[in-house]
Amino acid sequence: MSSDPGVHESRHPTLKQYVGIAIFLFVITIVEFVIILPQNFRGAGWTIAPLAILSAIKFAAVIFFYMHLKFDNRLLTWVFLGGLALGFAVVFALVGLFGTYTPSPRAWAQANAEPCLFDHDHGGCVDLAAAQRAAETETPETPAAEDAPPAEPSHTAPAPSGGLAAEGQALFTGRGVCITCHKIEGVEGAVGILGPDLTNVATVAETRQPGVSAEEYLVQSIVEPDAYIVDEYPAALMNATVAGLALTDAEVDALVAFLLEQK
Amino acid sequence: MAHQTAHHTETSHHAPVAEHVEEHTTTGINHRKLLMWVFLSSDCLFFGSLIATYMVYRGQSLVGPYPVDIIDVPITTISTFVLLCSSFAMVRALAATNEDRQGAILFWLLTTAFLGAIFIGFQVYEFNLFRAEGLRIDTNLFGSTFFTLTGFHGAHVTLGIVWLLGLAWIAKKGRLGPKTALDVELAGLYWHFVDIVWIVIFTLIYLIGGFDTGPAVDPSLVPHSITGFLGLI
Ligand code: HEC
Repeated sequence: MSSDPGVHESRHPTLKQYVGIAIFLFVITIVEFVIILPQNFRGAGWTIAPLAILSAIKFAAVIFFYMHLKFDNRLLTWVFLGGLALGFAVVFALVGLFGTYTPSPRAWAQANAEPCLFDHDHGGCVDLAAAQRAAETETPETPAAEDAPPAEPSHTAPAPSGGLAAEGQALFTGRGVCITCHKIEGVEGAVGILGPDLTNVATVAETRQPGVSAEEYLVQSIVEPDAYIVDEYPAALMNATVAGLALTDAEVDALVAFLLEQK
Repeated sequence: MAHQTAHHTETSHHAPVAEHVEEHTTTGINHRKLLMWVFLSSDCLFFGSLIATYMVYRGQSLVGPYPVDIIDVPITTISTFVLLCSSFAMVRALAATNEDRQGAILFWLLTTAFLGAIFIGFQVYEFNLFRAEGLRIDTNLFGSTFFTLTGFHGAHVTLGIVWLLGLAWIAKKGRLGPKTALDVELAGLYWHFVDIVWIVIFTLIYLIGGFDTGPAVDPSLVPHSITGFLGLI
């Protein structure tokens, strides 16, 4: 039994040592906190290394002294460090695998960002893709309407007379997705409410800006929607979509020809 | 030296086995203690995979709140201190047990459990605050990985508190002392392990990742992309 105090000493640090370790851990935590105090240090890449090293020191202090691995059978140290090493291996493997083989959600979002037009009635985004698909399936009907002008249901929208205007209408209801935002009475599918009603746009266009002809104004409205913002309608909204369409000059001409008929 | 003493005490019919005797096993280590270390060792893998998941998805959330919007480093530094204090209380509890100071055993065990409970209190407060600010486990990748990792850690602490209270109950009946010091030691090992896991989590999620911001891409362009990304997976 006389050897007991000796064994005791060797297996458990003294109170003084414990207090010392506690203070040590406190100080390191304070240092860590101080490192990220300056605004421009926060989240900076270089802080990772010192913070990781400091916490590794804390980690070691706790396992070797508080958990007295330092004073215990060596085997326990190997058992724990083995698991710890495997834990690190798991981290490296998962980070490596996912980093390599899974697309980064943010990178993907950046590459595939689509304009989102907020739908004030239903919340969320206006589903432009769906509207476009719907419009495309309707396009074949347009030539039919052109073939038989008297069959046009409403007289507010005279049937397009020239080929150019017909082309314009096809664009308006089709690829141009204009119908998702604009209404033209008598044009099927053109029931959008996000933008102004274009039923009489040819007439309105003449009065919008003094000294600017209806045609010039319409071209500008399509090519540079934000040059003139119609009262009570949001800026940038039309621009967000139309810019992405990359309409050619010919297409713009066709659209304008079609719109000029909406008197 | 200690080995020899152990042999003699065990074979002779004198007193019960001396307090610091190493158990007579092939490894020379008490089985329960070895088992505890093996368990802690395996828990490194458990937390390792959760930490890896956090790292993989760090900075990938497409909608807020992002860490920079809600992580509060000063508050969490305080709760980190509380946990460090509890570890100190734990070593005092074990020392008291070895020295057979009955009152001190109970006091330090309860102090450890109490400090652990304060830590959990901070966590409950933090979780509620985050929820109020719009971060839930299904809000974004940050929410999912954050709540999973810190939640499992909190569960470990909670289990530790229950364990400590159980020991305190036994201590109150005067049944803890040098002979049963291993019971306290094992709880202590578990408790300190939970503390070191927090050291890692605190550094990673709060000090390093706590200032992560949202994506550079215009947030108004994002909703479409999320559905697209989910479709891709
Ligand atoms: C995302 C919705 C949206 C789409 C798609 C859209 N517009 Fe617009 N449009 C608007 C809004 C909003 C305004 C009013 C704000 C402004 O003047 O820029 C507007 C204004 C206009 C005007 C001016 C109207 C006036 O009364 O002065 C014209 C002409 C026009 N759009 C034509 C088109 C054409 C042609 C297309 C298809 C290529 C189209 N728009 C597609 C939303 C849209």
